[in-house]
Amino acid sequence: MKQLLYKEYKLCLVSMVPIFYLFALMLLIPNYPYLVAAFFTCNSIFFLFKQSVVNGDLLFTTLLPVAKGDVVRARVRFVVIIQMIMFLLFIPLCYANHLLVPRNPAGTDGSLTFLAAALVLFTIFNGTFLPGFYKNEQKMDKLFLISLIAVFGWIILWEGFMITAGAAERLVPFFAWVETHLDCWPATSEAWTVQLIALAIGALVYVVGNILITRRAVAVFERVDL
Amino acid sequence: MHLLEVRDLEKRYPTFTLDKVSFSLEPGYIMGFIGRNGAGKTTTMKAMLNLIHRDGGEVFVNGRSFFENERACKGEIGFVMGEFDCYKNATLKAITDVTRRFYPTWDQAAYEDYLRRFALVESKKVKELSAGMRVKYALALALSHDARLLILDEPTSGLDPVSRDDLLDVFRSVIEDGSRSILFSTHIISDLEKCADYITYIKGGKVLSSTDMLTFRESYRLVSGDREHLEVRRPKLIGCKEHAFGFTGLIRAEDEAAFRSCKIAPADLESIMIYTEQEESHETASL
Repeated sequence: MKQLLYKEYKLCLVSMVPIFYLFALMLLIPNYPYLVAAFFTCNSIFFLFKQSVVNGDLLFTTLLPVAKGDVVRARVRFVVIIQMIMFLLFIPLCYANHLLVPRNPAGTDGSLTFLAAALVLFTIFNGTFLPGFYKNEQKMDKLFLISLIAVFGWIILWEGFMITAGAAERLVPFFAWVETHLDCWPATSEAWTVQLIALAIGALVYVVGNILITRRAVAVFERVDL
Repeated sequence: MHLLEVRDLEKRYPTFTLDKVSFSLEPGYIMGFIGRNGAGKTTTMKAMLNLIHRDGGEVFVNGRSFFENERACKGEIGFVMGEFDCYKNATLKAITDVTRRFYPTWDQAAYEDYLRRFALVESKKVKELSAGMRVKYALALALSHDARLLILDEPTSGLDPVSRDDLLDVFRSVIEDGSRSILFSTHIISDLEKCADYITYIKGGKVLSSTDMLTFRESYRLVSGDREHLEVRRPKLIGCKEHAFGFTGLIRAEDEAAFRSCKIAPADLESIMIYTEQEESHETASL
Protein backbone atom coordinates (compact mmCIF):
# COMPACT_ATOMS: atom_id res chain seq x y z
CA MET A 1 0.00 0.00 0.00
CA LYS A 2 2.90 2.36 0.80
CA GLN A 3 4.28 1.85 -2.71
CA LEU A 4 0.87 2.45 -4.28
CA LEU A 5 0.47 5.70 -2.35
CA TYR A 6 3.94 6.73 -3.50
CA LYS A 7 2.85 6.00 -7.08
CA GLU A 8 -0.25 8.17 -6.56
CA TYR A 9 1.92 11.02 -5.31
CA LYS A 10 4.68 10.70 -7.89
CA LEU A 11 2.73 9.87 -11.06
CA CYS A 12 -0.91 10.83 -10.48
CA LEU A 13 -1.04 13.99 -8.40
CA VAL A 14 -2.13 16.95 -10.54
CA SER A 15 -1.27 20.57 -9.82
CA MET A 16 -4.98 21.36 -9.39
CA VAL A 17 -4.96 19.57 -6.03
CA PRO A 18 -2.52 21.88 -4.19
CA ILE A 19 -3.76 24.94 -6.09
CA PHE A 20 -7.36 24.25 -5.10
CA TYR A 21 -6.35 24.17 -1.43
CA LEU A 22 -6.21 27.96 -1.77
CA PHE A 23 -10.00 27.88 -1.89
CA ALA A 24 -9.88 27.16 1.86
CA LEU A 25 -9.13 30.88 2.16
CA MET A 26 -12.73 31.49 1.11
CA LEU A 27 -13.50 31.15 4.81
CA LEU A 28 -12.07 34.63 5.21
CA ILE A 29 -14.55 36.18 2.75
CA PRO A 30 -17.36 38.03 4.54
CA ASN A 31 -20.91 36.91 3.76
CA TYR A 32 -20.27 33.75 1.79
CA PRO A 33 -21.66 30.17 1.86
CA TYR A 34 -18.43 28.61 3.13
CA LEU A 35 -19.36 25.01 2.42
CA VAL A 36 -18.69 25.76 -1.26
CA ALA A 37 -14.97 25.88 -0.33
CA ALA A 38 -15.11 22.17 0.50
CA PHE A 39 -16.51 21.43 -2.95
CA PHE A 40 -13.37 22.75 -4.65
CA THR A 41 -11.32 19.90 -3.19
CA CYS A 42 -13.78 17.47 -4.77
CA ASN A 43 -13.35 19.36 -8.02
CA SER A 44 -9.57 18.90 -7.86
CA ILE A 45 -10.11 15.18 -7.17
CA PHE A 46 -12.18 15.00 -10.35
CA PHE A 47 -9.21 16.46 -12.27
CA LEU A 48 -6.97 13.85 -10.62
CA PHE A 49 -9.19 11.06 -11.96
CA LYS A 50 -9.51 12.75 -15.35
CA GLN A 51 -5.74 12.88 -15.72
CA SER A 52 -5.45 9.26 -14.55
CA VAL A 53 -7.70 8.17 -17.40
CA VAL A 54 -5.54 10.09 -19.89
CA ASN A 55 -2.43 8.48 -18.35
CA GLY A 56 -3.72 4.91 -18.56
CA ASP A 57 -3.19 4.70 -14.81
CA LEU A 58 -5.63 1.86 -14.12
CA LEU A 59 -3.96 -0.55 -16.54
CA PHE A 60 -0.44 0.36 -15.40
CA THR A 61 -1.34 -0.04 -11.74
CA THR A 62 -3.28 -3.26 -12.20
CA LEU A 63 -0.25 -4.81 -13.92
CA LEU A 64 1.94 -4.09 -10.89
CA PRO A 65 2.31 -6.87 -8.30
CA VAL A 66 -0.77 -5.85 -6.36
CA ALA A 67 -4.23 -7.36 -5.97
CA LYS A 68 -6.79 -5.77 -8.28
CA GLY A 69 -8.74 -4.50 -5.26
CA ASP A 70 -5.64 -2.74 -3.88
CA VAL A 71 -5.67 -0.44 -6.91
CA VAL A 72 -9.00 0.93 -5.69
CA ARG A 73 -8.10 0.91 -1.99
CA ALA A 74 -4.94 2.93 -2.62
CA ARG A 75 -6.75 5.54 -4.69
CA VAL A 76 -9.52 5.93 -2.11
CA ARG A 77 -6.88 6.41 0.59
CA PHE A 78 -5.16 9.02 -1.55
CA VAL A 79 -8.49 10.82 -1.99
CA VAL A 80 -9.00 10.67 1.79
CA ILE A 81 -5.52 12.17 2.34
CA ILE A 82 -6.33 15.03 -0.07
CA GLN A 83 -9.63 15.69 1.69
CA MET A 84 -8.06 15.46 5.15
CA ILE A 85 -5.44 18.06 4.22
CA MET A 86 -8.27 20.41 3.24
CA PHE A 87 -10.04 19.50 6.48
CA LEU A 88 -6.93 20.37 8.51
CA LEU A 89 -6.60 23.67 6.64
CA PHE A 90 -10.20 24.46 7.52
CA ILE A 91 -9.55 24.23 11.30
CA PRO A 92 -7.36 27.36 11.75
CA LEU A 93 -9.35 29.15 9.06
CA CYS A 94 -12.58 28.48 10.94
CA TYR A 95 -11.05 30.16 13.97
CA ALA A 96 -9.77 33.03 11.78
CA ASN A 97 -13.28 33.32 10.34
CA HIS A 98 -14.64 33.64 13.89
CA LEU A 99 -12.20 36.48 14.57
CA LEU A 100 -12.62 38.31 11.25
CA VAL A 101 -16.26 37.55 10.32
CA PRO A 102 -18.12 36.84 13.55
CA ARG A 103 -21.56 36.70 11.89
CA ASN A 104 -22.25 35.31 8.41
CA PRO A 105 -25.77 36.02 7.16
CA ALA A 106 -25.00 34.21 3.86
CA GLY A 107 -24.77 30.79 5.48
CA THR A 108 -22.82 28.78 7.97
CA ASP A 109 -20.16 30.29 10.25
CA GLY A 110 -16.68 28.87 10.85
CA SER A 111 -17.31 26.21 13.49
CA LEU A 112 -16.83 22.56 14.33
CA THR A 113 -20.31 22.02 12.87
CA PHE A 114 -19.06 23.46 9.60
CA LEU A 115 -16.20 20.92 9.70
CA ALA A 116 -18.76 18.14 10.22
CA ALA A 117 -20.80 19.41 7.26
CA ALA A 118 -17.62 19.43 5.13
CA LEU A 119 -16.98 15.77 6.04
CA VAL A 120 -20.52 14.85 5.00
CA LEU A 121 -19.97 16.74 1.74
CA PHE A 122 -16.77 14.74 1.08
CA THR A 123 -18.67 11.52 1.79
CA ILE A 124 -21.46 12.47 -0.62
CA PHE A 125 -18.93 13.22 -3.35
CA ASN A 126 -16.98 10.00 -2.79
CA GLY A 127 -20.18 7.93 -2.68
CA THR A 128 -21.60 9.34 -5.89
CA PHE A 129 -18.33 9.40 -7.84
CA LEU A 130 -15.91 6.63 -6.86
CA PRO A 131 -17.88 3.36 -7.33
CA GLY A 132 -19.25 4.63 -10.65
CA PHE A 133 -15.76 5.57 -11.83
CA TYR A 134 -14.49 2.04 -11.19
CA LYS A 135 -17.48 0.59 -13.03
CA ASN A 136 -16.83 2.61 -16.18
CA GLU A 137 -14.12 5.27 -16.20
CA GLN A 138 -15.29 6.49 -19.59
CA LYS A 139 -18.50 7.83 -18.03
CA MET A 140 -16.70 9.96 -15.48
CA ASP A 141 -17.99 13.29 -16.83
CA LYS A 142 -21.60 12.18 -16.41
CA LEU A 143 -20.75 10.86 -12.95
CA PHE A 144 -19.21 14.15 -11.96
CA LEU A 145 -22.39 15.94 -13.02
CA ILE A 146 -24.39 13.62 -10.74
CA SER A 147 -21.90 14.29 -7.93
CA LEU A 148 -22.21 18.04 -8.52
CA ILE A 149 -25.99 17.85 -8.17
CA ALA A 150 -25.70 15.77 -4.98
CA VAL A 151 -22.99 17.96 -3.43
CA PHE A 152 -24.71 21.23 -4.26
CA GLY A 153 -27.98 19.74 -2.99
CA TRP A 154 -26.23 19.24 0.35
CA ILE A 155 -24.70 22.74 0.25
CA ILE A 156 -28.09 24.33 -0.47
CA LEU A 157 -29.73 22.27 2.29
CA TRP A 158 -27.05 23.08 4.88
CA GLU A 159 -26.47 26.70 4.04
CA GLY A 160 -30.22 27.26 3.60
CA PHE A 161 -30.81 25.87 7.07
CA MET A 162 -28.15 28.12 8.58
CA ILE A 163 -29.44 31.21 6.71
CA THR A 164 -32.93 30.43 7.96
CA ALA A 165 -31.64 29.94 11.51
CA GLY A 166 -29.81 33.27 11.41
CA ALA A 167 -32.81 35.11 9.98
CA ALA A 168 -35.39 33.59 12.33
CA GLU A 169 -33.40 33.21 15.55
CA ARG A 170 -35.50 35.84 17.30
CA LEU A 171 -38.76 34.21 16.23
CA VAL A 172 -38.05 30.51 16.80
CA PRO A 173 -36.26 29.40 20.01
CA PHE A 174 -34.77 26.34 18.26
CA PHE A 175 -33.07 28.57 15.67
CA ALA A 176 -31.73 30.76 18.47
CA TRP A 177 -30.23 27.61 20.04
CA VAL A 178 -28.72 26.66 16.65
CA GLU A 179 -27.12 30.08 16.33
CA THR A 180 -25.56 30.04 19.81
CA HIS A 181 -24.61 26.35 19.96
CA LEU A 182 -24.00 25.13 16.39
CA ASP A 183 -23.52 28.01 13.96
CA CYS A 184 -20.65 29.86 15.66
CA TRP A 185 -17.18 29.24 17.00
CA PRO A 186 -17.96 27.56 20.37
CA ALA A 187 -17.79 30.05 23.23
CA THR A 188 -19.28 28.01 26.07
CA SER A 189 -18.58 24.51 27.33
CA GLU A 190 -22.11 23.52 26.30
CA ALA A 191 -21.48 24.78 22.75
CA TRP A 192 -18.15 22.88 22.67
CA THR A 193 -19.93 19.70 23.73
CA VAL A 194 -22.70 20.08 21.15
CA GLN A 195 -20.26 20.90 18.36
CA LEU A 196 -17.87 18.09 19.28
CA ILE A 197 -20.83 15.69 19.09
CA ALA A 198 -21.72 17.16 15.68
CA LEU A 199 -18.12 16.76 14.54
CA ALA A 200 -18.05 13.17 15.83
CA ILE A 201 -21.23 12.41 13.84
CA GLY A 202 -19.64 13.97 10.74
CA ALA A 203 -16.47 11.93 11.29
CA LEU A 204 -18.52 8.76 11.77
CA VAL A 205 -20.41 9.39 8.53
CA TYR A 206 -17.09 9.97 6.74
CA VAL A 207 -15.31 6.90 8.13
CA VAL A 208 -18.20 4.44 7.82
CA GLY A 209 -19.24 5.96 4.50
CA ASN A 210 -15.77 5.60 3.01
CA ILE A 211 -15.41 2.02 4.24
CA LEU A 212 -18.69 1.12 2.49
CA ILE A 213 -17.75 3.17 -0.60
CA THR A 214 -14.38 1.39 -0.82
CA ARG A 215 -16.04 -2.04 -0.51
CA ARG A 216 -18.52 -1.18 -3.24
CA ALA A 217 -15.84 0.27 -5.55
CA VAL A 218 -13.59 -2.78 -5.05
CA ALA A 219 -16.46 -5.19 -5.77
CA VAL A 220 -17.36 -3.27 -8.92
CA PHE A 221 -13.74 -3.05 -10.13
CA GLU A 222 -13.14 -6.79 -9.60
CA ARG A 223 -15.72 -7.46 -12.34
CA VAL A 224 -14.50 -4.81 -14.74
CA ASP A 225 -12.71 -5.79 -17.94
CA LEU A 226 -9.70 -3.56 -18.59
CA MET B 1 6.45 -28.66 -12.38
CA HIS B 2 4.93 -26.27 -14.92
CA LEU B 3 5.97 -22.65 -14.61
CA LEU B 4 2.68 -21.67 -16.20
CA GLU B 5 -0.45 -23.73 -16.45
CA VAL B 6 -3.66 -22.36 -17.93
CA ARG B 7 -6.59 -24.69 -17.34
CA ASP B 8 -10.03 -24.33 -19.01
CA LEU B 9 -9.94 -20.54 -19.06
CA GLU B 10 -13.28 -19.12 -20.14
CA LYS B 11 -14.56 -15.66 -20.95
CA ARG B 12 -17.91 -15.07 -22.58
CA TYR B 13 -18.80 -11.94 -24.52
CA PRO B 14 -22.01 -11.52 -26.53
CA THR B 15 -20.14 -12.05 -29.82
CA PHE B 16 -17.04 -13.97 -28.74
CA THR B 17 -16.21 -16.78 -26.36
CA LEU B 18 -12.87 -17.83 -25.00
CA ASP B 19 -13.61 -21.53 -24.85
CA LYS B 20 -11.81 -23.55 -22.17
CA VAL B 21 -8.34 -22.42 -23.18
CA SER B 22 -5.69 -24.74 -21.76
CA PHE B 23 -1.92 -24.93 -22.19
CA SER B 24 1.17 -25.20 -20.06
CA LEU B 25 4.79 -24.11 -20.18
CA GLU B 26 7.82 -25.70 -18.53
CA PRO B 27 10.72 -23.62 -17.19
CA GLY B 28 13.45 -22.87 -19.72
CA TYR B 29 11.35 -22.48 -22.87
CA ILE B 30 9.79 -19.89 -25.12
CA MET B 31 6.20 -20.42 -26.22
CA GLY B 32 4.78 -18.55 -29.19
CA PHE B 33 1.11 -17.72 -28.90
CA ILE B 34 -0.32 -17.34 -32.38
CA GLY B 35 -3.65 -16.72 -34.03
CA ARG B 36 -5.40 -14.19 -36.22
CA ASN B 37 -6.55 -10.78 -35.05
CA GLY B 38 -9.55 -11.37 -32.79
CA ALA B 39 -8.69 -15.04 -32.20
CA GLY B 40 -8.45 -14.44 -28.45
CA LYS B 41 -4.72 -14.03 -27.77
CA THR B 42 -4.94 -10.74 -25.88
CA THR B 43 -8.19 -11.80 -24.19
CA THR B 44 -6.45 -14.96 -22.96
CA MET B 45 -3.49 -13.00 -21.65
CA LYS B 46 -5.70 -10.42 -19.95
CA ALA B 47 -7.89 -13.13 -18.39
CA MET B 48 -4.75 -14.91 -17.16
CA LEU B 49 -3.62 -11.70 -15.43
CA ASN B 50 -7.05 -10.86 -13.96
CA LEU B 51 -7.25 -7.74 -16.11
CA ILE B 52 -10.59 -9.03 -17.34
CA HIS B 53 -13.02 -10.98 -15.24
CA ARG B 54 -12.95 -14.64 -16.25
CA ASP B 55 -16.08 -16.79 -16.37
CA GLY B 56 -14.23 -19.96 -15.50
CA GLY B 57 -10.91 -21.74 -15.40
CA GLU B 58 -7.70 -21.51 -13.42
CA VAL B 59 -4.19 -20.20 -13.94
CA PHE B 60 -1.23 -21.57 -12.00
CA VAL B 61 2.15 -19.81 -11.83
CA ASN B 62 4.90 -21.95 -10.43
CA GLY B 63 2.29 -24.28 -8.93
CA ARG B 64 0.32 -21.54 -7.18
CA SER B 65 -3.16 -20.38 -8.15
CA PHE B 66 -2.77 -16.95 -9.72
CA PHE B 67 -6.18 -15.75 -8.56
CA GLU B 68 -5.61 -16.83 -4.96
CA ASN B 69 -2.04 -15.44 -4.85
CA GLU B 70 -2.36 -12.49 -7.22
CA ARG B 71 0.28 -10.26 -5.61
CA ALA B 72 2.94 -12.95 -5.26
CA CYS B 73 2.32 -14.37 -8.75
CA LYS B 74 2.43 -10.94 -10.39
CA GLY B 75 5.78 -10.36 -8.67
CA GLU B 76 7.15 -13.37 -10.53
CA ILE B 77 5.82 -12.22 -13.89
CA GLY B 78 7.03 -9.54 -16.26
CA PHE B 79 4.34 -8.18 -18.57
CA VAL B 80 4.50 -6.24 -21.77
CA MET B 81 1.19 -5.29 -23.35
CA GLY B 82 2.43 -3.69 -26.55
CA GLU B 83 4.15 -0.34 -26.35
CA PHE B 84 4.37 1.57 -23.05
CA ASP B 85 1.55 4.07 -23.36
CA CYS B 86 1.06 5.43 -19.83
CA TYR B 87 2.00 8.73 -18.16
CA LYS B 88 3.12 10.37 -21.39
CA ASN B 89 4.28 13.53 -19.60
CA ALA B 90 6.37 11.66 -17.05
CA THR B 91 10.05 10.89 -17.52
CA LEU B 92 11.26 7.29 -17.72
CA LYS B 93 13.25 7.99 -14.55
CA ALA B 94 10.10 8.90 -12.60
CA ILE B 95 8.18 5.86 -13.85
CA THR B 96 11.07 3.52 -13.08
CA ASP B 97 11.49 5.05 -9.64
CA VAL B 98 7.88 4.10 -8.90
CA THR B 99 7.94 0.68 -10.58
CA ARG B 100 11.12 -0.64 -8.94
CA ARG B 101 9.64 -0.12 -5.45
CA PHE B 102 7.08 -2.83 -6.15
CA TYR B 103 9.72 -5.48 -6.84
CA PRO B 104 12.04 -6.64 -4.02
CA THR B 105 14.05 -8.45 -6.71
CA TRP B 106 14.60 -5.31 -8.81
CA ASP B 107 18.03 -5.47 -10.47
CA GLN B 108 19.18 -1.89 -11.07
CA ALA B 109 22.36 -3.01 -12.85
CA ALA B 110 20.34 -5.15 -15.27
CA TYR B 111 17.94 -2.25 -15.84
CA GLU B 112 20.78 0.14 -16.65
CA ASP B 113 22.23 -2.49 -18.94
CA TYR B 114 18.95 -2.75 -20.86
CA LEU B 115 18.75 1.05 -21.08
CA ARG B 116 22.17 1.07 -22.75
CA ARG B 117 21.35 -1.92 -24.95
CA PHE B 118 18.07 -0.34 -26.11
CA ALA B 119 19.56 3.19 -26.34
CA LEU B 120 16.97 4.59 -23.93
CA VAL B 121 17.56 7.91 -22.17
CA GLU B 122 15.98 8.11 -18.72
CA SER B 123 15.52 11.86 -18.75
CA LYS B 124 13.19 11.62 -21.76
CA LYS B 125 9.44 11.74 -21.36
CA VAL B 126 7.28 8.90 -22.64
CA LYS B 127 5.70 11.20 -25.23
CA GLU B 128 9.15 11.88 -26.68
CA LEU B 129 9.74 8.20 -27.48
CA SER B 130 8.90 6.53 -30.77
CA ALA B 131 6.54 3.54 -30.75
CA GLY B 132 9.51 1.17 -30.98
CA MET B 133 11.33 2.86 -28.11
CA ARG B 134 8.19 2.60 -25.96
CA VAL B 135 8.13 -1.14 -26.56
CA LYS B 136 11.79 -1.30 -25.56
CA TYR B 137 11.12 0.65 -22.38
CA ALA B 138 8.26 -1.70 -21.46
CA LEU B 139 10.62 -4.62 -22.05
CA ALA B 140 13.39 -3.04 -19.95
CA LEU B 141 10.95 -2.73 -17.03
CA ALA B 142 9.68 -6.29 -17.48
CA LEU B 143 13.17 -7.77 -17.73
CA SER B 144 14.71 -5.95 -14.77
CA HIS B 145 12.98 -7.53 -11.78
CA ASP B 146 14.20 -11.05 -12.24
CA ALA B 147 10.79 -12.31 -13.39
CA ARG B 148 10.57 -16.07 -13.82
CA LEU B 149 7.81 -15.79 -16.39
CA LEU B 150 7.56 -13.17 -19.10
CA ILE B 151 4.17 -12.65 -20.72
CA LEU B 152 4.56 -10.48 -23.77
CA ASP B 153 1.76 -9.35 -26.05
CA GLU B 154 3.14 -8.26 -29.42
CA PRO B 155 6.55 -7.30 -28.00
CA THR B 156 8.27 -7.10 -31.37
CA SER B 157 5.67 -5.09 -33.27
CA GLY B 158 6.91 -1.61 -34.07
CA LEU B 159 10.55 -2.64 -33.85
CA ASP B 160 12.96 -2.51 -36.76
CA PRO B 161 14.49 -5.86 -37.92
CA VAL B 162 17.82 -5.20 -36.13
CA SER B 163 16.09 -4.40 -32.84
CA ARG B 164 13.83 -7.44 -33.24
CA ASP B 165 16.80 -9.69 -33.79
CA ASP B 166 18.57 -8.16 -30.79
CA LEU B 167 15.46 -8.71 -28.71
CA LEU B 168 15.21 -12.36 -29.71
CA ASP B 169 18.81 -12.75 -28.50
CA VAL B 170 17.73 -11.19 -25.20
CA PHE B 171 14.87 -13.68 -24.97
CA ARG B 172 17.24 -16.61 -25.54
CA SER B 173 19.64 -15.32 -22.90
CA VAL B 174 16.77 -14.82 -20.42
CA ILE B 175 15.76 -18.50 -20.59
CA GLU B 176 19.21 -20.04 -20.94
CA ASP B 177 19.65 -20.83 -17.23
CA GLY B 178 16.57 -23.08 -17.47
CA SER B 179 14.59 -21.40 -14.70
CA ARG B 180 12.65 -18.84 -16.72
CA SER B 181 10.13 -18.99 -19.53
CA ILE B 182 8.54 -16.64 -22.01
CA LEU B 183 5.05 -16.66 -23.47
CA PHE B 184 4.70 -14.24 -26.30
CA SER B 185 2.13 -13.46 -28.90
CA THR B 186 3.08 -12.00 -32.23
CA HIS B 187 1.98 -11.63 -35.81
CA ILE B 188 5.58 -11.71 -36.94
CA ILE B 189 5.82 -15.44 -37.44
CA SER B 190 9.46 -15.30 -38.52
CA ASP B 191 10.34 -14.20 -34.96
CA LEU B 192 8.79 -17.38 -33.61
CA GLU B 193 10.59 -19.52 -36.20
CA LYS B 194 13.83 -18.13 -34.79
CA CYS B 195 13.23 -18.58 -31.10
CA ALA B 196 10.07 -20.43 -30.03
CA ASP B 197 10.31 -23.93 -28.56
CA TYR B 198 6.55 -24.38 -28.22
CA ILE B 199 3.57 -23.12 -30.14
CA THR B 200 0.04 -22.55 -28.92
CA TYR B 201 -2.32 -21.82 -31.76
CA ILE B 202 -5.67 -20.25 -30.94
CA LYS B 203 -8.51 -19.85 -33.39
CA GLY B 204 -11.97 -18.43 -32.68
CA GLY B 205 -11.34 -18.57 -28.93
CA LYS B 206 -10.33 -22.24 -28.94
CA VAL B 207 -6.85 -23.73 -28.72
CA LEU B 208 -6.29 -25.73 -31.90
CA SER B 209 -2.89 -26.97 -30.90
CA SER B 210 -0.39 -26.54 -28.09
CA THR B 211 2.75 -28.52 -28.59
CA ASP B 212 6.47 -28.25 -29.27
CA MET B 213 7.53 -26.50 -32.45
CA LEU B 214 8.86 -29.62 -34.17
CA THR B 215 5.74 -31.70 -33.52
CA PHE B 216 3.58 -28.78 -34.61
CA ARG B 217 5.41 -28.37 -37.91
CA GLU B 218 5.72 -32.10 -38.49
CA SER B 219 1.93 -32.41 -38.18
CA TYR B 220 1.50 -30.62 -41.51
CA ARG B 221 2.84 -30.75 -45.07
CA LEU B 222 2.76 -28.27 -47.90
CA VAL B 223 1.68 -29.83 -51.19
CA SER B 224 1.60 -28.46 -54.70
CA GLY B 225 0.38 -30.04 -57.89
CA ASP B 226 -1.56 -29.73 -61.14
CA ARG B 227 -5.16 -28.69 -61.26
CA GLU B 228 -6.14 -32.19 -62.36
CA HIS B 229 -4.91 -33.51 -59.00
CA LEU B 230 -6.91 -30.99 -57.08
CA GLU B 231 -10.59 -31.93 -57.28
CA VAL B 232 -10.33 -35.52 -56.02
CA ARG B 233 -8.02 -34.50 -53.24
CA ARG B 234 -9.73 -31.29 -52.19
CA PRO B 235 -11.50 -32.85 -49.16
CA LYS B 236 -8.10 -33.71 -47.66
CA LEU B 237 -6.76 -30.17 -48.03
CA ILE B 238 -6.93 -27.95 -44.97
CA GLY B 239 -6.62 -24.93 -47.23
CA CYS B 240 -5.35 -24.26 -50.72
CA LYS B 241 -4.57 -21.55 -53.21
CA GLU B 242 -5.16 -22.14 -56.90
CA HIS B 243 -2.97 -20.53 -59.51
CA ALA B 244 -2.32 -20.76 -63.25
CA PHE B 245 -0.16 -23.87 -62.93
CA GLY B 246 -2.14 -25.75 -60.34
CA PHE B 247 -2.47 -25.38 -56.61
CA THR B 248 -0.53 -25.15 -53.36
CA GLY B 249 -2.13 -26.28 -50.15
CA LEU B 250 -1.73 -27.59 -46.63
CA ILE B 251 -2.48 -31.14 -45.52
CA ARG B 252 -2.19 -33.11 -42.30
CA ALA B 253 0.92 -35.27 -42.23
CA GLU B 254 -1.18 -38.46 -41.94
CA ASP B 255 -2.79 -37.64 -45.31
CA GLU B 256 0.56 -37.50 -47.10
CA ALA B 257 -0.02 -40.85 -48.86
CA ALA B 258 -2.97 -39.44 -50.79
CA PHE B 259 -0.73 -36.78 -52.35
CA ARG B 260 2.15 -38.97 -53.54
CA SER B 261 1.89 -37.64 -57.09
CA CYS B 262 2.26 -34.06 -55.86
CA LYS B 263 5.25 -32.15 -54.60
CA ILE B 264 5.41 -32.41 -50.83
CA ALA B 265 7.46 -30.10 -48.62
CA PRO B 266 7.76 -29.38 -44.88
CA ALA B 267 5.31 -26.75 -43.71
CA ASP B 268 6.50 -23.51 -42.16
CA LEU B 269 4.59 -21.74 -39.38
CA GLU B 270 3.28 -18.96 -41.56
CA SER B 271 1.88 -21.35 -44.16
CA ILE B 272 0.24 -23.47 -41.47
CA MET B 273 -1.46 -20.39 -40.08
CA ILE B 274 -2.50 -18.96 -43.44
CA TYR B 275 -3.98 -22.21 -44.77
CA THR B 276 -5.62 -23.14 -41.49
CA GLU B 277 -7.37 -19.79 -41.32
CA GLN B 278 -8.37 -20.26 -44.97
CA GLU B 279 -10.17 -23.43 -43.91
CA GLU B 280 -12.57 -21.34 -41.90
CA SER B 281 -13.03 -18.92 -44.81
CA HIS B 282 -14.02 -21.85 -47.02
CA GLU B 283 -16.40 -23.18 -44.40
CA THR B 284 -17.96 -19.76 -44.03
CA ALA B 285 -18.23 -19.34 -47.80
CA SER B 286 -19.89 -22.74 -48.23
CA LEU B 287 -22.46 -21.86 -45.57
